[in-house]
Amino acid sequence: MHLTIDGRVVDAVAGQTVLDAARAAGIYIPALCYHPKTGKAGRCRACVVEVDGLRGLKESCALPVKDGMVVHTATPKVMETRRMVVDLLLAEGHHNCISCQANSSCELQDMVYHLGVERPSFLIESEPTPQDLSSPGIMREADKCIHCGRCVEACQNGVVNEVLAFAYRGSHARVVCDDDLPMGDSTCVQCGECVQVCPVGALVLRQPREQKIRPHETTATRITCPYCGVGCQIDLHTRDNRYVFAMAHENQWERQPNKAMLCIKGRFGLDFVDSPDRLRTPLVRRDGELVEASWDEALDLVAERLKAAKEQHGADSIGFFTSAKVSNEENYALGRFARAVIGTNNIDHCARL
Amino acid sequence: MTNSMDEVLKAKVILVIGSNTTWNHPVFGSLLKQAVKHHGARLIVCDPRRIDLVDFADIWLQQRNGSDVALLSGLQHIILREGWEAADYIRERTEGFEEYRKALEFYTPEKVEELTGVKAADLEAAARLFATSGVGALYYCMGITQHSHGVDNVKACVNLALITGNIGVEGGGVNPLRGQNNVQGACDMGGLPNVFTGYQPVTNPTAVEKFSKYWNAPLSDKVGMTLTQMIPECGEKIHALYILGENPMVSDPNLHHVEEGLRKLDFLVVQDIFVTETALLADVVLPGVTFAEKLGTFSNTERRVQLSIPAIKPWGNVRQDYEIIADLAARFGHAFPRTPEGLFQEIRDLTPSYAGITYDRIREVGIQWPCPTEEHPGTRFLHAGKFARGLALLTPIAYRPPAEEPDVEYDLVLSTGRIYEHFHTGSMTRRSSILDAVVKTGHVELHPDEARKLGIASGDRVIVATRRGRIETTAMVTERVARGSIFVPFHFAEAAANTLTNDALDPIAKIPEFKVCAARLERVSSQGG
Amino acid sequence: MREELITTIESIAARYPDRRSALLPALHLVQRHNGGFVGSEDLAAVAELIGVPVSEAYGVQTYYSMFQRKPLGRYHLQVDTNIPAMLAGAQTIVAHLEKVLGIKVGETTPDGLFTLSTVECLASCGTCPVIQVNDRYFESMTPERTDALLASLRRGVMPDLPAPAHFGSTCNVLLARRGTPNAADIEVYLADGGYKALEKALGMTPEAVAAEVKASNVRGRGGAGFPAGVKWGFLARGTGKPTYLVCNADEGEPGTFKDRQIMEFDPHLLVEGMAISAYAIGANLAFIYIRGEFAWIADILERAIEQARAHGFLGTSIRGSGFALDIIVHLGAGAYVCGEETALIESLEGKRGNPRLKPPFPAVVGLYGSPTIVNNVETLASVPYIIEHGAAAFMRMGTANNFGPKIFGISGHVRRPGTYEYPLGTPLETLIEAAGGVVGELKAVIVGGLSVPILTAREAAGLALDYDSCLKRGTMLGSGGIMVMNETTSIPEVALRAIRFYAHESCGQCTPCRQGSHTVEKLLERIVSGLGTPADIDLVLQLCGRIKGSTLCPTGEAFAMPIEAMVTKFRAEFEALVS
Repeated sequence: MHLTIDGRVVDAVAGQTVLDAARAAGIYIPALCYHPKTGKAGRCRACVVEVDGLRGLKESCALPVKDGMVVHTATPKVMETRRMVVDLLLAEGHHNCISCQANSSCELQDMVYHLGVERPSFLIESEPTPQDLSSPGIMREADKCIHCGRCVEACQNGVVNEVLAFAYRGSHARVVCDDDLPMGDSTCVQCGECVQVCPVGALVLRQPREQKIRPHETTATRITCPYCGVGCQIDLHTRDNRYVFAMAHENQWERQPNKAMLCIKGRFGLDFVDSPDRLRTPLVRRDGELVEASWDEALDLVAERLKAAKEQHGADSIGFFTSAKVSNEENYALGRFARAVIGTNNIDHCARL
Repeated sequence: MTNSMDEVLKAKVILVIGSNTTWNHPVFGSLLKQAVKHHGARLIVCDPRRIDLVDFADIWLQQRNGSDVALLSGLQHIILREGWEAADYIRERTEGFEEYRKALEFYTPEKVEELTGVKAADLEAAARLFATSGVGALYYCMGITQHSHGVDNVKACVNLALITGNIGVEGGGVNPLRGQNNVQGACDMGGLPNVFTGYQPVTNPTAVEKFSKYWNAPLSDKVGMTLTQMIPECGEKIHALYILGENPMVSDPNLHHVEEGLRKLDFLVVQDIFVTETALLADVVLPGVTFAEKLGTFSNTERRVQLSIPAIKPWGNVRQDYEIIADLAARFGHAFPRTPEGLFQEIRDLTPSYAGITYDRIREVGIQWPCPTEEHPGTRFLHAGKFARGLALLTPIAYRPPAEEPDVEYDLVLSTGRIYEHFHTGSMTRRSSILDAVVKTGHVELHPDEARKLGIASGDRVIVATRRGRIETTAMVTERVARGSIFVPFHFAEAAANTLTNDALDPIAKIPEFKVCAARLERVSSQGG
Repeated sequence: MREELITTIESIAARYPDRRSALLPALHLVQRHNGGFVGSEDLAAVAELIGVPVSEAYGVQTYYSMFQRKPLGRYHLQVDTNIPAMLAGAQTIVAHLEKVLGIKVGETTPDGLFTLSTVECLASCGTCPVIQVNDRYFESMTPERTDALLASLRRGVMPDLPAPAHFGSTCNVLLARRGTPNAADIEVYLADGGYKALEKALGMTPEAVAAEVKASNVRGRGGAGFPAGVKWGFLARGTGKPTYLVCNADEGEPGTFKDRQIMEFDPHLLVEGMAISAYAIGANLAFIYIRGEFAWIADILERAIEQARAHGFLGTSIRGSGFALDIIVHLGAGAYVCGEETALIESLEGKRGNPRLKPPFPAVVGLYGSPTIVNNVETLASVPYIIEHGAAAFMRMGTANNFGPKIFGISGHVRRPGTYEYPLGTPLETLIEAAGGVVGELKAVIVGGLSVPILTAREAAGLALDYDSCLKRGTMLGSGGIMVMNETTSIPEVALRAIRFYAHESCGQCTPCRQGSHTVEKLLERIVSGLGTPADIDLVLQLCGRIKGSTLCPTGEAFAMPIEAMVTKFRAEFEALVS
């Protein structure tokens, strides 16, 4: 089917929302509370549009496409509403991009930028609330929360860890952990799903913050998590060839095994790649001590000793432990080595352990 | 897994046994919780410990450690007695029913209650729920396999799924959750003593001929030794050992024996990223690279072959693991491919189930084998319509107790496993600053009743002792474990659970009995005097 | 937690299709049992018992203003300071209490006897000022009556301090038995011809009953004025799910105190109306969602339902018809927004009272995901008359398109504030006359509860009190809560008091309402305290203009419209404060 968005004819399929169709066509509509993983919420009011034949403003995140629909994303009423949303969110003055960890990866900042707003129209005095640094992996900053509800929905119904919830109401409403405990003292299991979906700097990872590296300064590469067998697809963020932080890979998330979710190990347990005690050179035992050696020394020694063992005791005197941690290709290579080069089927790995 | 992880959302009833899913496969645990919370699935949890998943369960069966065959057979006994079985399915797709039925007669609810400690009424309720709710999925993990009768346990799971008609069905299946990111792949690639890639038996002359021809080398058609068989043979039948990325000095049962064995070797090579407890005993240590530095494929628990892209360029005098093997092969006059894609091409040539998978096809989303051709979309669940062997075999299973049960001297049941924050031998997670900050070292879970009896409080130092060894660790008093049971995570070399564990093996799978042995607890000193 | 408490909670949970609905009742129960609060440990126990995460239970507990986390004094003195109360001098009572008790609002006396709070509208607008002590109301309070109250409480006795209320009826439909002794008793109701309409309805087909209601054109009396029969027609059929009827008795719109007249003094009229309506829409389970402060009225309703059941007007086969109906009285816990039907449904499901995104509408996806009709008390109480006397008789009252009787509640600066039942379309002057006339000179009037635009005396002149006429005058009939203000009233103060109410009550879900009400409150504070600038006045108007039509539920309009009207129509008063 087709619809017209701001005068452009756009393709759409049944079941899509106006927001989906617009985004697929590269038309920007800000949406602070909607996230593909947490769905429509109707909270932010940023994504409203006007539609010919429908009264008033409509949430594009909740509006199903219809063939022939004529949508306007930038009418004066829409722009006024967006401007109001931005003004209201900025009025307390806590959204200060300058030292915010989310700077450059903030959906509120994007929206403000698109609107061309330099500063809020007005300021309302308010007391700052302290950052919650009780959790080793995640920093919470309530003042930067825009009440989009993504983290609550994701925690309650996505990862179903059921820790985050909205408490209190009105302008006092805020996201709490359990019955208002610091995150580090709560039942939070630090899967980081809340950070994954937070559109602003209210929930951020501490790893990049402590390294003073902002998201746009890193390169993301999709890898497979080295831990359990779920095979989570992770974007490993690096800078200068070093690990900075990890986020779940979101592209085509519905088809990925982990649906863009992670656990504490995938989210926070990958910094061992840069561990200072990584083995960086071959070692051979000399006079009872393991000492550094060249590759040729080490490999020649291995070849020589394996040949000797085979000659002396036969191929089946040599055993191989391959690994559930290396790739298929490497497992295959070691299997081929054991079987075709040495001539033994003595190969196994830790499947039983 | 016969089925895909997200099919759990289509299951009407789920039975989880021997899997602390939310700790060991947390992301799948989330899908499972979604199934219960949003899709109306009913959940039966069978576990001696009150694992977190119990909060989401309709029924929790707290069987005694090591009594799973009785529990699972008891469910089947009731299902047949009530006529809840999928009769058409059994007739059309299985064989051996009569003999199997006879063996089940033993497992009356009363007998099962005696063996497992599970009340007959609860067993009946669980049987009804599992057999009469619609599509049922079964998930298990090491709590089923790591027993001296682990194969019996697995067969009992399969039997249950078969008689309820749940294999080869979307949303159902018998689903072992694999504990390592490429344990599936290591098996697929023939990292086992009895099979080549794609489970082609080394005893099959056609397979031997095929591989021999392709590799241009003579091959042995004799089944090799498993890891758990090789360790005790070190210095006897085994003289040299090549260990790639494994750490038996923490992961294997009865560590005193492991160390003894490894020291008896003529030659030990360890290829790893750290100088692990095992590498310290090696003659040569070869530096490989981490997952983050690798190009290559990994096969997850649902048989999904996924391409991983290097995020970090290795530095220092290290080499890619496949390069090391190729360099070594060259010294024997064998030319191995020197790119991951070249190796993958060989895998495809030799392995029908991988033949249709190419790097290009899995650049964004992995494909689940079997995938025989490049046009094939991959396979979400196995055994649709037909089993590989034609009819599935219903196996009669006799009850066997664990190899070692508590007695006067060692009065507690010790079980080992993982905790949420750490992984396997800890070589990765304990080098992660955040995980290390959350959980620094090991502990032993014990029930408040035991704690009272022994005068132990949480935080006290205690000795855990078995016939094989003793460790000192910290007590954690919790109702998560049953009375008379203790649990020790095995990630921590300084309080290595495997100093304690029994190296009794399953006669077929040669898997050690990590989940049950007899132990004793002693108090060392209380916190703060 | 004590065993008997657990047993009671379990038995409550068993009554609901989904046990989560028992969360609010359980919190009420535990709070009462604990002497006024539910702490961490008990909350966790309740959460586990009901089967919700602690986080969500905490979210629910802190959403509702009646739930306390910490112990209060033995007597919790809650003074209504909303606008009708303010017009009646509630501040004098607060000041008096502060002086006599030696504590400020929010504090507890050192002896632990009294905690003093100010609260939002308690729906006692005709008998203000009102002090709620624990779950009892003490109305028409003066400093002297307050002293008597305190003296009695110090002796440990909840006194009887009757406060006569004014009422009147020219229609004799909804307030017909308002003055009759023991009218809440089924015998009195039966003697007056009660439950005849239900018997008649059961002899008709449900479709015929629904058609009669539709023909009467009765418009929803909750505030929106949407025709009830048309609403019933939106019900999704053939969904395979049960249909529910919910009576909205969350009377919380400041200035409104009409529904409680029916529930407190003629509960069987409501029960009968609900039974007929449930029959018409095919519901076998109905709920009365009543605001938490009305705990004693809930008891009255429970008794009425019990009596009706005993007489076979409720139960598994009503009067042998085969039609089954049970009614559950469900107590809210202090949240204005729960008067909005989707928020009410959420609350009834044991959640925070956050309005839902519409569509789907409740008639399609409502309570427990099932088709649900939510009607106001007064609407449902009108149904027996329509069925007994026919739509035509109903339509003989009122004006075209605005038929039937209506209870108007008049508060503020009139001599005899109270509730008066007149036909729709009655001139405002007639109502004011009935209420004894204005004390002083009429300056302004709000005719439909706080959320409608204020009218100046001139605008109000000759206004016919019906939905369409009010709309033509730029306001709305709303709930028919009329607040009369004389020349002594400061409109900026009324505006500030009004926005404080909405900022306090905003559910906090959507940005324009949550931040908007808060921001307008701050701006009006600045203006009223003399620290504002003329630009602040413009900003208030600009914000109100933008908030209208941009919120998730009507609460945005509910404050944006009246504030905008107050500022626009009485701008000079605001300007005088900032110059």
